[in-house]
Amino acid sequence: MNDHDLANILMVDDQPGKLMSYEAILGTLGENLIKARSAREALDQLLRNDIAVVLMDVSMPEIDGFELAEMMRQHPRFQKTAIIFISAVHLTDVDRIKGYRSGAVDYISVPVIPELLRAKVSVFAELHRKNRQLERLNSELEKRVEERTAQLRENEDLLRERADLLELATEAIIVRDMNGAILYWNSGAEALYGWRREEILGESVHEVLQTRFPAEFSTIQTELHETGQWEGNLTQITRDGHEVIVACRKALKADGNAILEINRDITAQLKTEDALRKTERLAAMGRVAGIIAHEINNPLEAITNTFYLLRDHPSLDDEARYYAKLGEEELLRVAHITRQTLGFYRESRHPVQVSISGLLDEILELQMRRMEFSSIQLEKQYRSIGTVQGFPVELKQVFLNLIGNAAQAMPEGGRLRLHVFESRGRRNRTGAVCISICDTGTGIAPENAKHLFEPFFTTKSTKGTGLGLWISKGIIQKYGGSIRFRTLSRAGRNVTCFQVTLPDVDLQKIKEPAFASMTVPAEDMAGDFDDH
Amino acid sequence: MTTDRITILVVDDENVPRMLRCLILQKQGYQIVAADSGRKALQLLADGGIDLVLSDQMMPSMTGTELARTIKASRPSMPVILISGVNEIPADASCADRFISKVGGPELLFETISEVLAAYGYTL
Repeated sequence: MNDHDLANILMVDDQPGKLMSYEAILGTLGENLIKARSAREALDQLLRNDIAVVLMDVSMPEIDGFELAEMMRQHPRFQKTAIIFISAVHLTDVDRIKGYRSGAVDYISVPVIPELLRAKVSVFAELHRKNRQLERLNSELEKRVEERTAQLRENEDLLRERADLLELATEAIIVRDMNGAILYWNSGAEALYGWRREEILGESVHEVLQTRFPAEFSTIQTELHETGQWEGNLTQITRDGHEVIVACRKALKADGNAILEINRDITAQLKTEDALRKTERLAAMGRVAGIIAHEINNPLEAITNTFYLLRDHPSLDDEARYYAKLGEEELLRVAHITRQTLGFYRESRHPVQVSISGLLDEILELQMRRMEFSSIQLEKQYRSIGTVQGFPVELKQVFLNLIGNAAQAMPEGGRLRLHVFESRGRRNRTGAVCISICDTGTGIAPENAKHLFEPFFTTKSTKGTGLGLWISKGIIQKYGGSIRFRTLSRAGRNVTCFQVTLPDVDLQKIKEPAFASMTVPAEDMAGDFDDH
Repeated sequence: MTTDRITILVVDDENVPRMLRCLILQKQGYQIVAADSGRKALQLLADGGIDLVLSDQMMPSMTGTELARTIKASRPSMPVILISGVNEIPADASCADRFISKVGGPELLFETISEVLAAYGYTL
């Protein structure tokens, strides 16, 4: 209902003549007039329309005006409907009228003065109209408020969802002001750097994290301000002192008041890439070694055979025979080197169960005659079989190297002690197979000790590539183990012990033999002790 | 039976190495027949009189292992030794009696031949 909507005026009188006269009087108001000839009809009209004011004759047969008013007042919808009683005013009537406190009530006495009736009716009509307007505005306002509230709640939910998502992100998401003070620190940042949100808010980000930038800080700032973004790798220190490398993306907030940083930890990834590159290089080396091996070994064999034929050739005089012998000896060195570094192997394709004690016994069998010849006493103490998972040929090479060295250290005789035992770690969780090889030979001089495992280090004058211990160490390290040695002087005798430790190993790490093309079949080394 | 009653078929596609290998074996007292390919070797085998086959591994049309397999298919009691300069022992090397390195020198070769002949019942 707006300002121009018509109000419904209900006129109730049992006498049609009176109704007509009221109609005539009120017609000029321009409202909608509804007639009812009885209380019942009036109620009907009330129910069907939105009545602004009821003009009621008090004296009606059956149900009079007061009774109708009573009925109306009992109905919640009509409790406040304006009522104008038309009556010949009696004292009792006035009391009664005054008794109707709820809703607008008025009366007009008989005879009706048209201007008065018009005025009273139009007042109530206008009031009704205004009320309806107010109600309408109110409900619209309520609706708008509800809509706004719903929108705000939606925004809040969205924000919360976004915040949750930021929390889900494994990247470290940091927001900081232009001075570096931290404004936002997500759980990814907590995980990466070890600092909790409460501890670090407000702190200067690059001071706490000890950031090292790939370029001058001013250069980065410039780029950030000019393009709004910067990307690069940073080196930072976590709370417990670890160095991490992160891929960092900075973005300048639109209003230029804050910087968003998203950092991803790439330390592991870089290490893997590094390792991969090394492996590739090693593999490439292996392949190159393979090619070289073949190219060298063929002419090598031919030349060796040539010298063999020259040996004791009748047409050679002493001098020529001497030269031939020199050539043959030098060629032996070449053969030795290629065998060591480019030789071939008969290795199993996958790690298998290897009995270390079995391996040692095989080696000892090969060396038996030589040891007897050098008067070397053998002492075996196998407290355990020493089972490990691995590649038998390369493991055999390691022990052949060590036993060979031990025997060579005792040219005038001595004692070789082999000890195999298992060491159980704390709480029986990790174990290791330990092998110790001890000799009573010349010992290791202190100045040589630190160079022992270096490649090409040897104390043997003629033979010796200096690669044996270096290769052995590489092989054992691949198993996560170690080779250590000790040399003691006791009562004029030297005792040198090498100890190899092979821990319970992670098979993922030893998918293949350590040096693909650098192991040599033990059979080929029979009678040929290896060297440092 | 002494070595000079034993005939060895030496197979190698490279001429000088093959020739030198033949010479050192002759110095040991073996009789030699030579072939420069697997195909030629099979032809010579068919002529008879061969006691042992000594073949190179890396040959262009037929490798040593292929030759060994072919020989063993029809003559299981023919000793076959493969000699090689390659870096890796091939997976199917077990079809031959032995697979040795060229870098092992003449002594390794002589020892291997003696052992294999002994295993096949030859007494030297």
